[in-house]
Amino acid sequence: MRYMAKTLLLFGSAIMSTSLLTMNFSPAAVAQEATIAFSAGELGATSYDPIKASTLNSANALIYDRLVEQGADQSFHPHLATSWEESPDGMTWVFKLREGVTFHDGEPFNADTIAAWIPEFEGTENAFMTEAIDRVEVVDPLTVKFVMKRPEPNMLYNLASTFMGVPSPKSYKAMGADYGVTTAIGTGPFKLDSFAIGLETVLSRNGDYAWASDLSVNQGAAKIAKITFREIPDQSTAFLELKTGGVDVLLGVPTDFLSILKKEANVATVTIPGTGINYMPINTTAEPFTDIKVRQSTALAVNQKAILDSVYNGVGQEAHHFLINSLPAGKVKSELEISYDPAKAKQLLDEAGWAMKDDGARAKGDQSLKVKLFTQNDTEFKRLAQVVQAQLKDIGMDAEITVFDSSTIRDEYKRNAHQLAVRGYDWNNADILDWFFSGNRLGYPNVSMWQDAKSEELNEKAMKASTNSAERIANFLEYHEYLLSQFLFVPIYQPTTNIAYNTGTVRVPKTIRVPRFRSQTVLDMEVVK
Amino acid sequence: MIVRYSLQRLLMLIPVSVSISIVIFLIVHMLPGDPIDNLIRVGSSPQDRAALAAKYGLDRSLVVQYFVWIGNIVSGDFGQAIVLRRPVADLIAQNLPYSLTLGALAFAFSSIVGMILGTIAAVAKRPAVEQVVKGFILFGSTVPGFWLALLMILLFSVTLGWFPVSGAKTWSALVLPVLTIGFGGIALVARVTRVALLDVGHEDFVTLLHAKGLSRATILFRHLLPHALVPVVTILALRIGWILGGAVTAEFVFGRPGLGSLLIRSLGQRDYPVVQGCLLMLALAVMLGTLIGDILQAAMDPRIREAST
Repeated sequence: MRYMAKTLLLFGSAIMSTSLLTMNFSPAAVAQEATIAFSAGELGATSYDPIKASTLNSANALIYDRLVEQGADQSFHPHLATSWEESPDGMTWVFKLREGVTFHDGEPFNADTIAAWIPEFEGTENAFMTEAIDRVEVVDPLTVKFVMKRPEPNMLYNLASTFMGVPSPKSYKAMGADYGVTTAIGTGPFKLDSFAIGLETVLSRNGDYAWASDLSVNQGAAKIAKITFREIPDQSTAFLELKTGGVDVLLGVPTDFLSILKKEANVATVTIPGTGINYMPINTTAEPFTDIKVRQSTALAVNQKAILDSVYNGVGQEAHHFLINSLPAGKVKSELEISYDPAKAKQLLDEAGWAMKDDGARAKGDQSLKVKLFTQNDTEFKRLAQVVQAQLKDIGMDAEITVFDSSTIRDEYKRNAHQLAVRGYDWNNADILDWFFSGNRLGYPNVSMWQDAKSEELNEKAMKASTNSAERIANFLEYHEYLLSQFLFVPIYQPTTNIAYNTGTVRVPKTIRVPRFRSQTVLDMEVVK
Repeated sequence: MIVRYSLQRLLMLIPVSVSISIVIFLIVHMLPGDPIDNLIRVGSSPQDRAALAAKYGLDRSLVVQYFVWIGNIVSGDFGQAIVLRRPVADLIAQNLPYSLTLGALAFAFSSIVGMILGTIAAVAKRPAVEQVVKGFILFGSTVPGFWLALLMILLFSVTLGWFPVSGAKTWSALVLPVLTIGFGGIALVARVTRVALLDVGHEDFVTLLHAKGLSRATILFRHLLPHALVPVVTILALRIGWILGGAVTAEFVFGRPGLGSLLIRSLGQRDYPVVQGCLLMLALAVMLGTLIGDILQAAMDPRIREAST
């Protein structure tokens, strides 16, 4: 009994003191501080070491600057490199570096930095980023030359990646295995204060910052003095944090959440064009999809407009080809774009011998038109699969949905157990065509199980024979158009990246000129007093 | 006597741990999917993939892989996470304190409140009190944790503003997760306490105590509760394992790190060394919990010691 009384007393006082504590618990009220919740896709990063990490989050992009930045329209902009020149044969790249840049540890940024940094990639799992570079030559303190093993038309794209954020070579060497966990030193607008894996990352403003790229209006130090990035896995919790002021900005808001957020008086949203496509690969080795007419019919049965309106409330874009709209290799001939045409879809099935029965289902002989539609255990994809299932039913195709977890579904693809699948990818480079359609990756990632001599030839040309970026674009465009003509997939939807913020505490620029959440956006953000 | 019994039980842990490690290893490796698919970059060739699998020893036979893993564990090395690219021991060490704090508080909370409620339900003369407590027990044992967690956030954080919605930085952020996890535990402990008390209450010696004229309170606290505690302690000891891993839902909803979240995330990515390391830790915790329960039981009830020696 004595214990009980003590416990009650303790517990009661605990509740009292915590409620007193929480009265002051309002981080947003403190001037120049903001709390940002990571998007679901960037949770669980274990390190801020861009050279060795497998996952990097938005905070990483604020700690480090890159030589080159990429805009939301996929254009490249100078940053730590003020200009660059590629030799006509693609075998050398010369970069002029920005003057007066210093790391958070006081070390200067110059040509020696680059010469020490690039070789660090060797032997790591991120080595592919630099593998085409044979060696780095220091021309003068602010000029470096990459001597190449082979032309790399993807050079600027790689340099703009978060994995190519430049760390201080001195700290990198000194910290060893602890680098990225206890310390991370870049030249970015924010310094790493503390990092609790799985919980939060605290950054403080780099007051000396004076080397922003042309993608932000603010060219000086950030206006926000301190940013706390928090990991909140549950979307509902993250939303409630935003609503109650525990969080000022939510990254990666699911599109179906936008309509709920719009009802909140103190919440505004910004959408950035996404960097991926949701689509339905068709297994070209599985009956009845070995027949191109059946594939074409399936492709024409999907109503992108209806899906955009019903599943995504009109946010985002319809997809009519495999690459995102902003990529030059995505500008295919309009007649090759895959669009909804139910009359033609039905006619094609008739031609292929799948006749409509009285019950609204099709059959060929005694075989009825029943197919398997796989998707992964994710609310968005499950909804998408259901709508596609209904649309396929309209042309007389009976699709049965099976849901797998994301690791298991890959094994199903590799077993060649699938016919149709609803899935998505996130990648803003044309080489994604090679990834999903090259004949040496059948099953997964080549879910379409596509193997074809002409396709391989065009792939080889796009991937290896391009010496400069213009040639590369033309070659990928040709490859893309050929793939579209073979109806290997149905493009469905181009998602957007959505950011929600508390209008009472922060101001976020109306248009964001970079893909994803980068330092360029944060430099222009303000805490509202 | 009790020392010898404890040593015997401790020795038995060795063969049990070995069998458990084999089961864990097999289950993890038999799952469809593999970690390399979560690691390879866009553009890597089948050769790159094979090289990566070889780097982590995944190309070797399961038997070899098992012995390499268990051999390293015996020498204190939990291995390197494949997808998360950190030492597994570091990852566990980073998450363990969060799990222990939350688990221990929830355990204490549910044990104390559960025993009190169970006792009230057992001795309440008024059917109404008994019904209310029984209803609460039923509700507590069936309500889904994530739903309860969201309801509590809505009430205590959004409407009343008493506690933060999520996080793990402040003590106040612990209150709602402790209540969420504790709630299910209260129901369990209360149910066992109630049944045990009622069972003991029907024994002849209790009738004798009443006949001797002892007060109800004396009978309850001096005689009934000590007897009834034996099954309660067993249940509590079995729940020690849950302290570490039973908080997955609460960790997810309240955005807390912990062993449960680490396990679930790594399971999704098929990060074998992390999943195996976490499961082994949880299995050990359950085994130790059972052991402690058995020893306590033996200490409280001489019949158990005698039966096993």
